[in-house]
Amino acid sequence: MTQNRVWNWLLLFGLFLLLAVMPKLVSEFRLNLVIGMLIYSLVAIGYNMLLGQGGLLSFGHAAYFGMGAYTAILVYKHWGFSLLSGILAGGVCGALLGVLFGVFLARLRGLPFALLSLAFNALIYVVAEKWRTFTGGEEGLGMRRPDLSIPGFGSIDMFSTVNFYYFVVIIVVLCVMYCWFFTKTPLGRINVCLRENEGRVSFIGYNIYMTRLLIYIISAFFCSIAGALASSFQEFVSTATINLDKSADILILTFVGGRGIFWGPILGACFLTYLNDALSTLTEHWAIIQGAIFIALVMYAPDGLAGLILRTKNWLFRRFNIEKG
Amino acid sequence: MDILLIQILHGLVYGMLLFLLASGLTLIFGLMDVLNFAHGAFYMLGAYFSFSVVLWTGQFWLSLIIAPLLVGSIGMFTERVFLRKVHAYGHISELLLTFGIAYILEDVVKIIWGTEPLKVKIPAILSGSLSILGGAYPIYRLFILVVSLLVFAFLFLILFKTRVGIIVRAAVAKKEMVGALGFNVPLIFLLLFGVGSWLAGIAGVIGGPYLTTHPGMGAAILIDLFIVIVVGGLGSIQGALLAGILIGEIRSFGILFLPQFVLFFEFSLLAAVLIFKPEGLLGESK
Repeated sequence: MTQNRVWNWLLLFGLFLLLAVMPKLVSEFRLNLVIGMLIYSLVAIGYNMLLGQGGLLSFGHAAYFGMGAYTAILVYKHWGFSLLSGILAGGVCGALLGVLFGVFLARLRGLPFALLSLAFNALIYVVAEKWRTFTGGEEGLGMRRPDLSIPGFGSIDMFSTVNFYYFVVIIVVLCVMYCWFFTKTPLGRINVCLRENEGRVSFIGYNIYMTRLLIYIISAFFCSIAGALASSFQEFVSTATINLDKSADILILTFVGGRGIFWGPILGACFLTYLNDALSTLTEHWAIIQGAIFIALVMYAPDGLAGLILRTKNWLFRRFNIEKG
Repeated sequence: MDILLIQILHGLVYGMLLFLLASGLTLIFGLMDVLNFAHGAFYMLGAYFSFSVVLWTGQFWLSLIIAPLLVGSIGMFTERVFLRKVHAYGHISELLLTFGIAYILEDVVKIIWGTEPLKVKIPAILSGSLSILGGAYPIYRLFILVVSLLVFAFLFLILFKTRVGIIVRAAVAKKEMVGALGFNVPLIFLLLFGVGSWLAGIAGVIGGPYLTTHPGMGAAILIDLFIVIVVGGLGSIQGALLAGILIGEIRSFGILFLPQFVLFFEFSLLAAVLIFKPEGLLGESK
C-alpha cells in the first residue's frame, strides 16, 4: 500500500518535471502538438465526469467546447479582455449554457439523454453558423491572443509559444487536479452512485435532478475552459469547434483512453492527438487506419488504453510473482 | 401546377426515401439497442455499387437487385464478425465500432471511386417528366415514391401478417422471452441486420441519382435519419413512416420559406419530442 503510493507520487512528480522541461526537449513546432494534447486532456477529463463517473453518454459536449472558444475570441475582440479573464469568461459562459441545456437534460438518462444533447449541440451549431455578423459564420473569427496581465505585477508576453505553453500547463494542471479532488468529494461520489443505482440514491434522500444538473454544469465548465484555451491557442475560432464531429471526437478521445480510470482520458487525448498528427503527415488515407484502430480497441480493449495498461501490469506482476504492494 | 402541391410532393419524395432508410435502422435499434452509425455508410455503398453495376452492364434494373444484396451481405458480415463480439461490452462500444466501420467504408469508397460526385445513368423510361394534376413532375421522383411505398407495403405485410413477422416483432419487444421459447435470437439478429442493410442498399441505389452520389452522402443523411427514428419512436415502422414524411415536408417547406432555419426546425422538433414525449410519436414507452 505505502510502497504503491510512493510510486504514484514519484510518477506524478516525474510527469510535472517532464511538463516543466518540455520546451527544452522539443522544438517549438512540436510544442504546439503538446499544447494540443494538454487542451484535449482537459476536455476529455471534463467529459469523463459524465461518461465515466456518471455513466451518461453525451453527444453534445462540443457545444461547450465551442461556446468557450467563441466567447474567448469575442471578448478579446470586442472588449479587450486579457488572457486569463478571457479564459474565465469562456468557462462561465459555457457553464451558463450548461444551466440552460442541463435543466432539460438532467431529467433524462441513456439514449434520450444522448440524443437530446445531440439536438442541443446541433441547435447551438446552427446559431453559430447563421449568426454571421457576430460569429463570422463559416469563415470564423481571428484574433491575436492578448498578453497575460496580472494586477500589481505587470503583463507577460503571450506571443511566445513557450510562455503560452506554461500558461496552458498551469491552467490544465489546476483544472485536472480539481477534477481529481472532485471525485473524492461527496458530490463526486454521488455521481458514481447515480451511475450504479439511481433508485437507491433517491431512497437515501438525495435529490437526483439537482445532483445531475450540478455535475452537468461542472462538466460543461471544464469543457468550455478547454475550448477557450483552444481558440486562444489557435488565435482563431470557427464552426469546426462546435460541430457534431467535434462532439464525436470528444467521445472517442475519452473512450479510447479508458473511461473507467481517472487518468484514462488523458492517455486517449495524448494518443489520438499524436496519432492524428502523425497519420495525417504520413498518409492521405488516415481515416482507414484510425477506423481500424477503433475497431481493434473496441474489440480487444473495451476498457480503453488505460485498461490495457493496467491489465498488462497485473499480468506482469503475476508472471514474475511480485506481490502487489 | 400549384407551387404548394409541388412542394408537398418534393417533401413526400424525400420523406419516403428517409423512411426507406429509417425502417431498417429502427428495426435494428429495436432489436439490438444500438444506434448503427454505419447505416449511412451502407446507404452510400448501395449508391456506389449501383454506379459500378450500371457502368459495367448498363442495366439500372439489374443494379437495383444486385447492389442491395451486396450491401446486405456486407451488413451481415459486419454483424457476425464485429458487432456480435462487442455486444457484451455495452452500447458505447457498439456505437464506436459502427463509427469505425463508417470511417473505413467512407475512405475505401474514396480510394476506389474517387472523391468527385458521380452521376448514375438512369434508364430512359425514368427520365423526363410526367404531367400530373395539370403540371409536369420528374418521373424519377415519382419512381422513388413508388419503390418506397412498395417496400413499406412489403415490410408491413411481412411484419404484421406472417409468422416470421410475429417472431421478429416479439424479439424486438422482448428478446429474452423469445430466446427462452426456443427461437434462435442471434440468427434473427443476423438476418434482421442483413435486411436492414439491404434496405439501406435499396435506398442508396434509388437515392444516388436523386441526391448525387458522393462519399459524404451517408454522413449527410445520417442526422436526418436519426431525427426520423427518434421522432417516430425507436423500433416503430409506422412511426418511421410518419416522421419521415414529417421531416420531408419540414425540409421542403423550410427551404421554400426560411432556408436558413431548416436544420433549426428539425432539431427543435427533435428536442421537443425528446422533452415532452421521449418515447417518440408512435413509440411504446419501455
